[in-house]
Amino acid sequence: MRLGEPARMQATINITPLVDVVLVLLIIFMVMAPQMRKGPDVKLPNTTKPNSQGDERGRILVSIDESGGLWINDQLVKPEHFDETLRAAVGAETNPRVVIRGDAKLNFREVREAMVAVEQAGFHGVGLIAKRAGAEGK
Amino acid sequence: MQFNGNDSGSGLQSEINITPLVDVVLVLLIIFMVVVPLLMEGYDVDIPRASADTSAQVAESQLILRIGPEACPMLGPPAGEGIPKNCQVTLADQKIPAAELQARVAALLGGRPAEQRALFLAVDDRMNYEGVLRIIDLAKSGVEDLKIEFVAAN
Repeated sequence: MRLGEPARMQATINITPLVDVVLVLLIIFMVMAPQMRKGPDVKLPNTTKPNSQGDERGRILVSIDESGGLWINDQLVKPEHFDETLRAAVGAETNPRVVIRGDAKLNFREVREAMVAVEQAGFHGVGLIAKRAGAEGK
Repeated sequence: MQFNGNDSGSGLQSEINITPLVDVVLVLLIIFMVVVPLLMEGYDVDIPRASADTSAQVAESQLILRIGPEACPMLGPPAGEGIPKNCQVTLADQKIPAAELQARVAALLGGRPAEQRALFLAVDDRMNYEGVLRIIDLAKSGVEDLKIEFVAAN
């Protein structure tokens, strides 16, 4: 468009398709977001240099909440049912990895007991999830 | 678009159409906003063996780090960042301040081949979990690819 020419050609960007796409995405993620969060709210310990443990999806999340309750993914389990629930959570996965999200207020005993339970269910090695100090979020 | 007879070239389309560009950028932004909180960080550890083979595994060459509440009073979550100054740990039967841990572990294990770099942790049950992870963090930061294994505390 040149100066002095009548503005009727196309003076502004047509933002209608843009807004369409953004709104659809917004709605999709608003619907999906609550389902993607697995497990209870856990205040993770703060450390300086944790290593990457990959994506939350594709891991079996064992969470231990502030009061010592054991969760597998998003399900609160009793200690006596821990084994079978963990095996059920593995399902058909060929190379499952277990990570433990323990609350910062816990004693080491509760975390150790969870690790022993995971070991007895046949897993060797777990990841202990921490939060990089200063990082935002959970 | 209207075609202007007396000035052809630049009148056709003088601006880049940025709508698809903005679309792609916004979609990427949303994808990363959703994925980033799902990424986790932490420490790989080996689990304390359930049965009696613990004692067989703890051979002489293995470096044991003992953490107990008597020498390192962290029964609740440590205030602020790092480890309290009065925290002492026992590395290879030698009591050292926790602050020196990084250098000591590096000195003891840094020369070993990667597959033998393992630190065995005997942690008292009463210790606070966050404190234990911070000590692990400190020990790991001195040596690359350090394997952490838990053993029974007594």
